[in-house]
Amino acid sequence: MKIKKKSQGPEIPTASMADIAFLLIVFFMVTSVFSVTRGLEFQLPKQETTPQTTQEEAIHIHIIPAGSDCIFEVDKQQMALSDIQRYIEPKLARNPNKFVIIDPDPDAPYRCMVDAFDELKLARVKNISIPTQAEKEAWGDIL
Amino acid sequence: MRLRRQVRPVSYIPTASMADIAFLLLVFFLVTTTITVDRTNVGLPTSMERTEVPKDAAVIAIEEGGVIHFSDGKAQSHVLNLNDVLLAAAFVMEKNSLKWFVIKADGNARYQYIDQVMEQLRQARVRNIAMLTQQEEVG
Repeated sequence: MKIKKKSQGPEIPTASMADIAFLLIVFFMVTSVFSVTRGLEFQLPKQETTPQTTQEEAIHIHIIPAGSDCIFEVDKQQMALSDIQRYIEPKLARNPNKFVIIDPDPDAPYRCMVDAFDELKLARVKNISIPTQAEKEAWGDIL
Repeated sequence: MRLRRQVRPVSYIPTASMADIAFLLLVFFLVTTTITVDRTNVGLPTSMERTEVPKDAAVIAIEEGGVIHFSDGKAQSHVLNLNDVLLAAAFVMEKNSLKWFVIKADGNARYQYIDQVMEQLRQARVRNIAMLTQQEEVG
Protein backbone atom coordinates (compact mmCIF):
# COMPACT_ATOMS: atom_id res chain seq x y z
CA MET A 1 0.00 0.00 0.00
CA LYS A 2 1.30 3.38 -0.91
CA ILE A 3 1.23 5.99 1.83
CA LYS A 4 1.00 9.50 0.58
CA LYS A 5 3.15 11.89 2.59
CA LYS A 6 1.99 15.43 2.84
CA SER A 7 5.11 17.55 2.12
CA GLN A 8 5.33 20.79 4.07
CA GLY A 9 7.22 23.71 2.54
CA PRO A 10 10.08 25.05 4.70
CA GLU A 11 9.38 28.36 6.37
CA ILE A 12 10.87 30.70 8.95
CA PRO A 13 8.32 31.72 11.55
CA THR A 14 8.13 35.49 11.49
CA ALA A 15 4.96 36.03 13.46
CA SER A 16 6.82 36.92 16.65
CA MET A 17 9.38 39.13 14.89
CA ALA A 18 7.50 42.35 15.65
CA ASP A 19 7.13 41.33 19.31
CA ILE A 20 10.86 40.77 19.65
CA ALA A 21 11.64 44.04 17.86
CA PHE A 22 9.27 46.02 20.08
CA LEU A 23 10.72 44.41 23.17
CA LEU A 24 14.19 45.55 22.11
CA ILE A 25 12.88 49.04 21.30
CA VAL A 26 11.36 49.36 24.75
CA PHE A 27 14.65 48.21 26.28
CA PHE A 28 16.67 50.84 24.38
CA MET A 29 14.09 53.55 25.08
CA VAL A 30 14.28 52.85 28.79
CA THR A 31 18.06 52.57 29.01
CA SER A 32 18.92 55.50 26.70
CA VAL A 33 19.97 58.69 28.41
CA PHE A 34 20.60 61.96 26.68
CA SER A 35 24.03 62.85 27.96
CA VAL A 36 25.57 66.28 27.53
CA THR A 37 28.58 65.90 25.29
CA ARG A 38 29.36 69.52 24.56
CA GLY A 39 31.42 72.07 26.40
CA LEU A 40 34.28 74.53 26.39
CA GLU A 41 37.67 73.30 25.27
CA PHE A 42 40.73 74.34 27.21
CA GLN A 43 44.39 73.40 26.83
CA LEU A 44 46.70 73.24 29.78
CA PRO A 45 50.21 74.53 29.13
CA LYS A 46 53.13 72.14 28.78
CA GLN A 47 55.08 72.09 32.00
CA GLU A 48 58.51 72.57 30.42
CA THR A 49 57.73 75.51 28.18
CA THR A 50 55.22 77.59 30.10
CA PRO A 51 55.40 81.08 28.61
CA GLN A 52 55.57 83.74 31.27
CA THR A 53 52.56 85.96 30.87
CA THR A 54 53.26 89.33 32.34
CA GLN A 55 50.72 91.84 33.51
CA GLU A 56 51.91 94.48 31.03
CA GLU A 57 50.95 92.39 28.04
CA ALA A 58 47.92 90.59 29.45
CA ILE A 59 44.38 91.53 30.37
CA HIS A 60 43.68 90.44 33.90
CA ILE A 61 40.16 89.35 34.91
CA HIS A 62 39.69 88.88 38.62
CA ILE A 63 36.49 87.16 39.74
CA ILE A 64 35.33 87.99 43.25
CA PRO A 65 32.38 86.20 44.89
CA ALA A 66 29.44 88.39 45.94
CA GLY A 67 26.72 86.33 47.59
CA SER A 68 25.43 83.87 45.02
CA ASP A 69 26.79 86.02 42.19
CA CYS A 70 30.18 87.45 41.22
CA ILE A 71 31.94 90.74 40.59
CA PHE A 72 34.21 90.90 37.55
CA GLU A 73 37.25 93.15 37.81
CA VAL A 74 38.94 93.63 34.45
CA ASP A 75 42.32 95.35 34.76
CA LYS A 76 41.20 96.53 38.22
CA GLN A 77 38.02 98.12 36.82
CA GLN A 78 34.76 96.64 37.96
CA MET A 79 32.49 95.84 35.02
CA ALA A 80 29.45 93.82 34.05
CA LEU A 81 29.96 90.51 32.30
CA SER A 82 28.37 91.86 29.11
CA ASP A 83 30.88 94.75 28.99
CA ILE A 84 33.96 92.52 29.00
CA GLN A 85 33.68 91.75 25.28
CA ARG A 86 33.40 95.46 24.43
CA TYR A 87 36.46 96.24 26.57
CA ILE A 88 38.59 93.48 25.04
CA GLU A 89 37.71 93.85 21.34
CA PRO A 90 39.76 97.06 20.61
CA LYS A 91 42.75 95.61 22.46
CA LEU A 92 42.41 92.42 20.48
CA ALA A 93 42.20 94.37 17.21
CA ARG A 94 45.61 95.90 18.00
CA ASN A 95 47.13 92.58 19.06
CA PRO A 96 45.19 89.42 18.11
CA ASN A 97 47.53 87.31 20.27
CA LYS A 98 46.74 89.27 23.40
CA PHE A 99 46.83 87.14 26.53
CA VAL A 100 43.90 87.17 28.92
CA ILE A 101 44.33 85.80 32.43
CA ILE A 102 41.25 84.61 34.30
CA ASP A 103 41.91 84.69 38.01
CA PRO A 104 38.90 83.44 39.97
CA ASP A 105 38.81 83.70 43.74
CA PRO A 106 38.89 80.21 45.36
CA ASP A 107 35.47 80.92 46.91
CA ALA A 108 33.85 82.13 43.67
CA PRO A 109 31.32 79.77 42.09
CA TYR A 110 32.65 77.77 39.14
CA ARG A 111 29.91 79.06 36.82
CA CYS A 112 31.35 82.61 37.05
CA MET A 113 34.64 81.33 35.65
CA VAL A 114 32.74 79.54 32.86
CA ASP A 115 30.78 82.76 32.14
CA ALA A 116 34.00 84.77 31.82
CA PHE A 117 35.63 82.03 29.72
CA ASP A 118 32.57 81.95 27.45
CA GLU A 119 32.70 85.72 26.95
CA LEU A 120 36.36 85.47 25.95
CA LYS A 121 35.63 82.65 23.54
CA LEU A 122 32.85 84.72 21.97
CA ALA A 123 35.30 87.64 21.62
CA ARG A 124 37.62 85.19 19.76
CA VAL A 125 40.46 85.51 22.27
CA LYS A 126 43.12 82.99 21.25
CA ASN A 127 45.23 82.95 24.38
CA ILE A 128 43.27 82.39 27.55
CA SER A 129 45.15 81.45 30.69
CA ILE A 130 43.60 80.15 33.89
CA PRO A 131 46.50 79.74 36.32
CA THR A 132 46.00 77.36 39.21
CA GLN A 133 46.65 78.49 42.78
CA ALA A 134 50.01 76.68 42.74
CA GLU A 135 51.01 78.42 39.51
CA LYS A 136 50.02 81.80 40.93
CA GLU A 137 52.21 81.18 43.95
CA ALA A 138 55.06 80.20 41.63
CA TRP A 139 54.58 83.33 39.54
CA GLY A 140 54.73 85.46 42.66
CA ASP A 141 53.93 89.11 42.20
CA ILE A 142 53.10 88.92 38.49
CA LEU A 143 49.42 88.63 39.30
CA MET B 1 -37.07 47.80 -8.25
CA ARG B 2 -34.83 45.38 -6.46
CA LEU B 3 -32.07 46.88 -4.38
CA ARG B 4 -28.76 45.14 -4.48
CA ARG B 5 -27.32 44.01 -1.22
CA GLN B 6 -24.41 46.22 -0.18
CA VAL B 7 -21.13 44.40 0.21
CA ARG B 8 -19.63 45.45 3.53
CA PRO B 9 -15.83 45.75 3.53
CA VAL B 10 -14.21 43.88 6.40
CA SER B 11 -12.37 46.32 8.67
CA TYR B 12 -8.83 45.47 9.66
CA ILE B 13 -5.62 47.20 10.74
CA PRO B 14 -2.73 46.59 8.33
CA THR B 15 0.10 45.09 10.33
CA ALA B 16 2.37 43.90 7.54
CA SER B 17 4.72 46.88 7.88
CA MET B 18 4.75 46.75 11.70
CA ALA B 19 8.01 44.79 11.81
CA ASP B 20 9.67 47.22 9.37
CA ILE B 21 8.72 50.22 11.52
CA ALA B 22 9.83 48.43 14.65
CA PHE B 23 13.21 47.55 13.16
CA LEU B 24 13.69 51.09 11.88
CA LEU B 25 13.17 52.41 15.42
CA LEU B 26 15.40 49.67 16.79
CA VAL B 27 18.26 50.63 14.47
CA PHE B 28 17.80 54.30 15.43
CA PHE B 29 18.15 53.55 19.13
CA LEU B 30 21.06 51.18 18.54
CA VAL B 31 22.95 53.87 16.64
CA THR B 32 22.18 56.80 18.94
CA THR B 33 22.62 55.03 22.26
CA THR B 34 25.92 55.77 23.94
CA ILE B 35 27.05 54.11 27.11
CA THR B 36 27.29 56.81 29.74
CA VAL B 37 30.26 56.25 32.00
CA ASP B 38 29.23 58.87 34.52
CA ARG B 39 25.76 59.47 35.88
CA THR B 40 26.62 62.02 38.56
CA ASN B 41 23.80 64.51 38.83
CA VAL B 42 25.27 68.01 38.60
CA GLY B 43 23.82 71.39 37.62
CA LEU B 44 26.10 72.29 34.74
CA PRO B 45 26.99 75.93 34.09
CA THR B 46 25.71 77.49 30.86
CA SER B 47 27.64 78.87 27.90
CA MET B 48 26.95 80.14 24.38
CA GLU B 49 30.10 78.69 22.83
CA ARG B 50 30.12 74.89 22.87
CA THR B 51 32.07 72.27 20.99
CA GLU B 52 31.65 68.52 20.79
CA VAL B 53 33.69 66.56 23.30
CA PRO B 54 35.43 63.32 22.14
CA LYS B 55 33.34 60.29 23.07
CA ASP B 56 36.02 58.23 24.81
CA ALA B 57 37.27 61.07 27.01
CA ALA B 58 37.99 60.51 30.69
CA VAL B 59 35.43 62.17 32.94
CA ILE B 60 35.97 63.98 36.22
CA ALA B 61 32.67 64.93 37.83
CA ILE B 62 32.74 67.41 40.72
CA GLU B 63 29.66 67.79 42.89
CA GLU B 64 28.66 71.05 44.57
CA GLY B 65 30.19 69.89 47.85
CA GLY B 66 33.48 68.92 46.20
CA VAL B 67 32.97 65.14 45.93
CA ILE B 68 34.96 63.88 42.93
CA HIS B 69 33.90 61.03 40.61
CA PHE B 70 36.44 59.69 38.14
CA SER B 71 36.09 57.54 35.02
CA ASP B 72 38.81 56.68 32.51
CA GLY B 73 36.22 56.77 29.72
CA LYS B 74 35.63 53.02 29.67
CA ALA B 75 34.68 51.92 33.18
CA GLN B 76 31.85 53.42 35.22
CA SER B 77 32.85 56.38 37.38
CA HIS B 78 33.72 55.94 41.03
CA VAL B 79 34.32 58.32 43.92
CA LEU B 80 37.93 59.38 44.20
CA ASN B 81 39.96 61.34 46.74
CA LEU B 82 41.42 64.59 45.50
CA ASN B 83 44.94 63.30 46.20
CA ASP B 84 44.35 60.24 44.00
CA VAL B 85 43.33 62.26 40.91
CA LEU B 86 46.99 62.76 39.96
CA LEU B 87 47.70 59.02 40.07
CA ALA B 88 44.52 58.10 38.18
CA ALA B 89 45.14 60.76 35.51
CA ALA B 90 48.80 59.75 35.15
CA PHE B 91 47.72 56.13 34.67
CA VAL B 92 45.32 57.16 31.89
CA MET B 93 47.95 59.40 30.25
CA GLU B 94 50.46 56.56 30.26
CA LYS B 95 48.21 54.65 27.88
CA ASN B 96 47.26 57.61 25.70
CA SER B 97 49.17 60.87 26.00
CA LEU B 98 46.58 62.75 23.89
CA LYS B 99 43.62 61.70 26.01
CA TRP B 100 40.89 64.28 26.56
CA PHE B 101 39.66 64.96 30.08
CA VAL B 102 36.15 66.24 30.62
CA ILE B 103 35.43 68.30 33.72
CA LYS B 104 31.77 67.92 34.60
CA ALA B 105 31.47 70.24 37.56
CA ASP B 106 28.46 71.75 39.29
CA GLY B 107 28.06 75.45 38.47
CA ASN B 108 27.66 76.33 42.13
CA ALA B 109 30.75 74.42 43.28
CA ARG B 110 33.51 76.59 44.75
CA TYR B 111 36.21 77.30 42.19
CA GLN B 112 38.78 75.98 44.66
CA TYR B 113 37.69 72.38 43.94
CA ILE B 114 38.11 72.83 40.21
CA ASP B 115 41.44 74.59 40.74
CA GLN B 116 42.78 71.67 42.77
CA VAL B 117 41.69 69.16 40.13
CA MET B 118 43.20 71.29 37.34
CA GLU B 119 46.49 71.44 39.24
CA GLN B 120 46.55 67.65 39.57
CA LEU B 121 45.80 67.27 35.85
CA ARG B 122 48.57 69.72 35.00
CA GLN B 123 51.00 67.69 37.07
CA ALA B 124 49.86 64.53 35.26
CA ARG B 125 50.80 66.33 32.01
CA VAL B 126 47.22 66.41 30.74
CA ARG B 127 46.88 68.87 27.86
CA ASN B 128 43.36 68.59 26.50
CA ILE B 129 40.54 69.56 28.80
CA ALA B 130 36.89 70.27 28.11
CA MET B 131 34.49 71.81 30.59
CA LEU B 132 30.99 70.45 30.10
CA THR B 133 28.30 73.11 29.81
CA GLN B 134 24.65 73.44 28.94
CA GLN B 135 23.39 75.61 26.11
CA GLU B 136 22.69 79.14 27.33
CA GLU B 137 19.21 80.39 26.56
CA VAL B 138 19.26 83.56 24.49
CA GLY B 139 17.32 86.50 25.88
